[in-house]
Amino acid sequence: MSVSGWLQRVGRKVLAAVQHAGHFGILLVATMAALPQIRRYWPAAVGHAKRIGVDGIALVIVVGGLSGSLLAQQTGYQLSNALPMSLVGSGVVAGMLTELGPVLTAIVIAGRTGAGIGAELGTMKVTDQIDALVTLGRDPVVELVAPRVVGGIIAMIPLVIIANFVGIFAGWFTAVSVLPMTTAEYVQGARSYYHSAALIFSLVKAPIFGFTITFVACYIGLRAEGGAAGVGRTATAAVVAIIVAIMVLDVILAPVYNAVA
Amino acid sequence: MIEIRSLRKNLGGNQVLDGVDLVVNEGECVVVMGPSGTGKSVLLKHIVGLFDPDEGDVLVDGISVPRADGRTIRRIRSRISYVFQNSALFDSLTVEGNILLGLPEGHCRRRDVNCNELVREALEHVNLGPEVLPLLPAELSGGMQKRVALARAVVGRQRYVLYDEPTTGLDPLNASNINELIARLKSEIGSTSVIVTHDVDSAFFLADRIAVLSDGVIQAIGTPEELRTTPDPRIQRFLDPAAAYAGAM
Repeated sequence: MSVSGWLQRVGRKVLAAVQHAGHFGILLVATMAALPQIRRYWPAAVGHAKRIGVDGIALVIVVGGLSGSLLAQQTGYQLSNALPMSLVGSGVVAGMLTELGPVLTAIVIAGRTGAGIGAELGTMKVTDQIDALVTLGRDPVVELVAPRVVGGIIAMIPLVIIANFVGIFAGWFTAVSVLPMTTAEYVQGARSYYHSAALIFSLVKAPIFGFTITFVACYIGLRAEGGAAGVGRTATAAVVAIIVAIMVLDVILAPVYNAVA
Repeated sequence: MIEIRSLRKNLGGNQVLDGVDLVVNEGECVVVMGPSGTGKSVLLKHIVGLFDPDEGDVLVDGISVPRADGRTIRRIRSRISYVFQNSALFDSLTVEGNILLGLPEGHCRRRDVNCNELVREALEHVNLGPEVLPLLPAELSGGMQKRVALARAVVGRQRYVLYDEPTTGLDPLNASNINELIARLKSEIGSTSVIVTHDVDSAFFLADRIAVLSDGVIQAIGTPEELRTTPDPRIQRFLDPAAAYAGAM
């Protein structure tokens, strides 16, 4: 390929990225402006929160439990014969509250709800339902985006609390069943690590991730094109984009926590 | 009145509209015809502000749609109903919910308005009974979905109704029923209509004037009788391809 052809390709990609950023920014501003009008969409937001919570709770319990159990086992194996086993409790509590609880819950909800929202709005887009809403004088951001975003924020908080609790409980169960340690040692380790900043950090991440999951899914869904195949691509793209966004946000938030705690 | 002035639109490198001029007078029914992919729906979407033109202007009641701010465009849209090609009913709402969306936001909170009555009237206009009200769009046939879309379009008694391929995908009987409904709604409600179609029979049945859109411009415009007798072979070939083909043999 010639240099000019390569430059043209790069230029088109850069232009597309800039356009994406622009559209993303416009939707973000419109969503922020719509959030205070909560009385207009509160029943819909509650409905979405229920759906996200009910759809996700079983998987969140399973993933939370498994991650707590794995965390206990791996910490225990690393510590054996070197450090006090009570540190298993510290490791599980630290890992679940600051990282695994919120992040794994977000990834589970991205897979279930993010793909669903992307496909739902994508279908609405390719079947002219979004255009119909506009011609009927309704604002798609107020009618479709804001209720899902608020629903996601509301639902993520209890889901993260459940994931944290189940993970810590599963960590304890694994520790006393598989590792050479007692409940007292686990609790002592957990208490020695636990401080309210970790819990607050966990609960701050929950709404941030809830916003990210639903907003990114809405953004990608509203840009769907190309019929049924396009909707399929939209659902996949939504999950990938949400997971990347969650991981990037998590990396950004980690030093914030360290500075505060 | 709707005025389209020198409208140009390029989509994906394709010059879809290349200087379209069209005036739709009050109470008139103009049918825009043309082969598939000539920008008929794109033209219609400019009227309601779903597309911004690259050049030219669209005026509704003298107000420029592309230059309108948010409040003005909402005011313009409140005067226009749009019937989409694939009905565009909301999957998650019942028939009643879909029709209610055709009313202005907050309209049903007014004490002097009986929305149930308005919805039932709209259903009667399209020959459907109240038994369909709790049904979801997926539970309706294609013809019934079109009727519900028409009911949604007329429930608010908007001044302008835009129809995008209203009979596409329907069998001849249902297509004929929909044409009769549109004609009846026009005479009962007295709205100004723009109908986009490539169905020649529908066009001649419904139109006060027919505009033929091809190669990005209006190639001919006139009453059905004027177009039927035009000597222009391109128009004749489009209006009666079978006769044009037989003549060429």
